[in-house]
Amino acid sequence: MTVNELIKKVFFVEILKGLALTLKHLFSPAVTRQYPTEKREPFPGSRGLHALVRDPETGREKCVGCGLCAAMCPSRCIHIYTSEGDDHKKVVDRYEVDVLRCVFCALCVEACPYGALVLTPHYEYSGYTREEFYYTKDRLLENWDKYMAGPRGAEYLEKFWRPKSSDFGVRVESHMEEGAKS
Amino acid sequence: MEKFSEGPGNREETSRLSSNGLTLNIGPQHPATHGVLRLVVDLDGETIVKCTPYVGYLHRGVEKLSEHRNYMQILPFTDRLDYVSAMSNNIGYCTAVEKMFGIELPERTEYIRTIIGEMSRIVNHLLWLATHALDIGAMTVFLYCFREREKLLDLFERLCGARLTMSYTRIGGLKNDVDEQWLKDLYEFTDEFPMRIEQYETLIDKNRIWLKRTKGIGVISAEEAINWGLSGPTLRGSGVPYDIRTDMSYGVYDKVKWQVCTGKNGDVYDRYRVRMEEFRQSNSIIRQCIDQIPEGPIMADAPKFTLPAKDKVLSDMEHLIHHFVLVTKGPQTAPEGELYVATEVPKGELGFFFVSDGTGKPYRMRIRSPSFVHVAALPRLCEGELIADLISNIGSIDIVLGECDR
Repeated sequence: MTVNELIKKVFFVEILKGLALTLKHLFSPAVTRQYPTEKREPFPGSRGLHALVRDPETGREKCVGCGLCAAMCPSRCIHIYTSEGDDHKKVVDRYEVDVLRCVFCALCVEACPYGALVLTPHYEYSGYTREEFYYTKDRLLENWDKYMAGPRGAEYLEKFWRPKSSDFGVRVESHMEEGAKS
Repeated sequence: MEKFSEGPGNREETSRLSSNGLTLNIGPQHPATHGVLRLVVDLDGETIVKCTPYVGYLHRGVEKLSEHRNYMQILPFTDRLDYVSAMSNNIGYCTAVEKMFGIELPERTEYIRTIIGEMSRIVNHLLWLATHALDIGAMTVFLYCFREREKLLDLFERLCGARLTMSYTRIGGLKNDVDEQWLKDLYEFTDEFPMRIEQYETLIDKNRIWLKRTKGIGVISAEEAINWGLSGPTLRGSGVPYDIRTDMSYGVYDKVKWQVCTGKNGDVYDRYRVRMEEFRQSNSIIRQCIDQIPEGPIMADAPKFTLPAKDKVLSDMEHLIHHFVLVTKGPQTAPEGELYVATEVPKGELGFFFVSDGTGKPYRMRIRSPSFVHVAALPRLCEGELIADLISNIGSIDIVLGECDR
């Protein structure tokens, strides 16, 4: 052991260095947040509670009941019930999301060909019964009005309803037909 | 002195106690087991005679579930294997499936995947360092590590909308593109991060308590480490320069300058040093990737396996049919056969083994998870050592039970 090492050992140099560092942090601004009083705004596109897109033209849901979101869902939490309407069109009778089963992967958003389903950034919801987390069609439309109405919804779909043509390179059309036949 | 020995049967009883030893149950609910690991430890005094890990408390049947989901639907399950570094698992799974389907990725996608893979490595090692130091008794490091981890998680949230279970990669591409501002903010983080690493090192690197708790503990030689099947930093701590990032082709690791970090002695301290060096290497890889990242598409030209463009789905019949088939049944032209592809996740070698029968779902999917193998080697590391060192040994092999039990 050299003299230098001995001095370091006797005078606790490495421990004092560590203490100096923590002391410095005592005078720097706090990085923590006092959560319930001080809330953090989630980033746009943050995956929280579900919402059904309300079509501004008709005032009803955009969803046509094709059931692709339910087919894509890995946790099988979307339930859709449809019937035939007066003009032989499909009518969505019930559209229900069991939020307690959901894993918030947002694959349903990608599966929807119409862009009729989004995940809102709303994350603070709690309740005492399971029924509160079984979101029916009306409640899902309500979520859209509450959290995504206006430019927010359009921005979300622009950014996260993908893939779009711009994400692909030059694609030869014959490839596409080959893919469709498979 | 005499007074004690005179008591009837007193000495006999003490000797009987020490010869029988003590069986101690640690976990499944124990703060130092990093999840729900249960260890049954046979003790002789303070020395561990035998250690038996019991796993399976977090078994969710991911492999069996995957047999009933198509290749796209399995992706969110991989988030939940090693929930500390979900992004790496996403990349590992997608790389394996792309190898099977024969998809060539665009260059930009490879760059972005390398960046997020290394970010995920930093996030994982930060959490590892935080909890490992906390187990050994250094509380401050825990708080500092979480400060930096929070910044990276915020970047992840801005990118894909989730902080922990990202599901960001897609078969043949990515969920969405990164933007310039995001890359700029990440670059700023990498400017600052080396200084932060030095701060952690100031606190513990030469601290005499830390050295006493880690040096010469849980020693495993290079040969034995290979025989036990260890991988990742746990193996490299023993001096074996094995890293799948160099040995297999994925990402753009061949286009950036970096080196595989190795230790020498194979003890807890060397495994800690390897991970600290990996912080710096990952940081430098991210910086080089941001400098080099090219413009271009992010989805591969593989229409049989990737969802068609949304703007074409409602205007073109072929695209619509193709969209329906892919979502409801999965890719219909998967090749038949068996395939194993491994990638380097922060914890070691994560491998996916597929048996495909040509349908949209895997006939069988098996996950080779590093944590499972590392838990198996735990008795070898801690037998013959003190019970207090068991905790530093569990920390040094970096296990997450979600991945171990699957």
